[in-house]
Amino acid sequence: MLDLLIRFQNMDRRWVFLGMALAIVVPMLLPFSMPFKVDKRVQDLYDKVEALEAGDAVYISADFDPGSRPELEPFYRAHLHHLFRQDVRIVMGTLWATAPPLVKPIFEEIAREYGKEYGKDWTFLGYIDGRELAIKSIGQSVRKTFPLDDRKNKTSELEVMKGLDAASDFDILTSISAGFPGTQAFVLQIQGQYNLQMASACTAVSAPDYIPYYQSGQLFGLSGGMPGSAQYEKLVFADWPTDKPLPRLPATAGMNVLSIGHMYIILLIFLGNLAFFLTRGSKEV
Amino acid sequence: MKRTLPLIITFVIGIIMVGEFFIPHWRYRALTGELLEWGIILSAGAFILGLINLIQVHVPTVVKRGEDWGYKVVLLGSLAVTLVVGFRDGTARLDPGMEVTFSYKWIFDFLYIPLSATMFALLAFYIASAGFRAFRARNAEATLLLLAAALVMFASVPLGEGMPIIGDYLVVFKDWILDVPNNAARRAIFIGAALGAISTGLRVILGLERSHLGGD
Repeated sequence: MLDLLIRFQNMDRRWVFLGMALAIVVPMLLPFSMPFKVDKRVQDLYDKVEALEAGDAVYISADFDPGSRPELEPFYRAHLHHLFRQDVRIVMGTLWATAPPLVKPIFEEIAREYGKEYGKDWTFLGYIDGRELAIKSIGQSVRKTFPLDDRKNKTSELEVMKGLDAASDFDILTSISAGFPGTQAFVLQIQGQYNLQMASACTAVSAPDYIPYYQSGQLFGLSGGMPGSAQYEKLVFADWPTDKPLPRLPATAGMNVLSIGHMYIILLIFLGNLAFFLTRGSKEV
Repeated sequence: MKRTLPLIITFVIGIIMVGEFFIPHWRYRALTGELLEWGIILSAGAFILGLINLIQVHVPTVVKRGEDWGYKVVLLGSLAVTLVVGFRDGTARLDPGMEVTFSYKWIFDFLYIPLSATMFALLAFYIASAGFRAFRARNAEATLLLLAAALVMFASVPLGEGMPIIGDYLVVFKDWILDVPNNAARRAIFIGAALGAISTGLRVILGLERSHLGGD
């Protein structure tokens, strides 16, 4: 028995990898998704957007890359649906060079779906380098930070920018952040200085870092990782009209994978420790 | 003069930028806005320095057939192709009549996205392996960390929070871990780091910290 446990502890890591692969692939094939509850942080984010009125303005900083796409793209999509449905103006920029090819086509696709006009209802300002400097500059003047939009129009001449310049002119600033520069830099550089109404959607690994900002009121809402995105999808698409086909909800679909994947890791930790305690003293492993 | 002038520039710019927090006047903001614009331009210029640096570091190794020279050829080749295609696409964007067949978007969609996503996805496998091999309850602190981690993981997914009878309690306990001990520790780290940043910033502005100028 002891020998078996020692062998179990030293088993080839490829078996662990195979188990992980199955824990990811099998739940994808399940025809149902497990029910889940909505966190207060996500509910607060949703409620604030829900309270916006037609003509209000939102600035989105879409700062993510392909690695964080499964966690953040579902939130990004749901957020655009939510904002366009509220008939608010959307101005978006990014501080990540890898973001424009990801975020621009989705922005165009969802704007088209709602019949929104470029330059009047929404605009994409593209990528700006400079990290914290760019964020400071956005705090002072979006027009000056992005003199031209992604389509080479003068930002100051766009109808969507009417009455908007400094970050504080926007009713909400949403930071969709996969790391640096992202939510933390926005909070440190301009949220406090200009008292911005700011929300964040971040990767699961960053969420514990940003919870203090939510508790202190610096963020009015926070969506962490795929669970946060799934919860936001649940809220946004809850009252989706029955005559329209429901968009694909990738984060909701991913919750099965997350459940089984987490369970598998917990099981491995438990078994590893069990074997460790049972074999302790008998043989150094 | 070679050292004094940069120190004077650092002092003046630093004081002006700090002053922005305390002087909310539009004229003053226009001045700091101008400085920020300079900073952004300089920052963008760093890409060119990065490019030159990359070539300086890797080309000699390739020429001498040094260690891993084959990988460096791939790196430099990818750099050259992406650069050329990027410039071509940039020109095409300004001239809608120009036809683009092999675009930067193709490289991004079919090379960068799959490679980047693969690298990130591999983490799941390594975390599983590390969790099995290294995450041991060897002492009281490690046991506490292990239990907290397992509980937060379990209560964060539908399977955990949907458990009959205990599911709701698990969620409450998970939220408590995140909101109380986690926040207490994070705040202590944030405040410590902020105090460190303030003192370093002051040292740079006052010229006491000169490592950014090179040398000592």
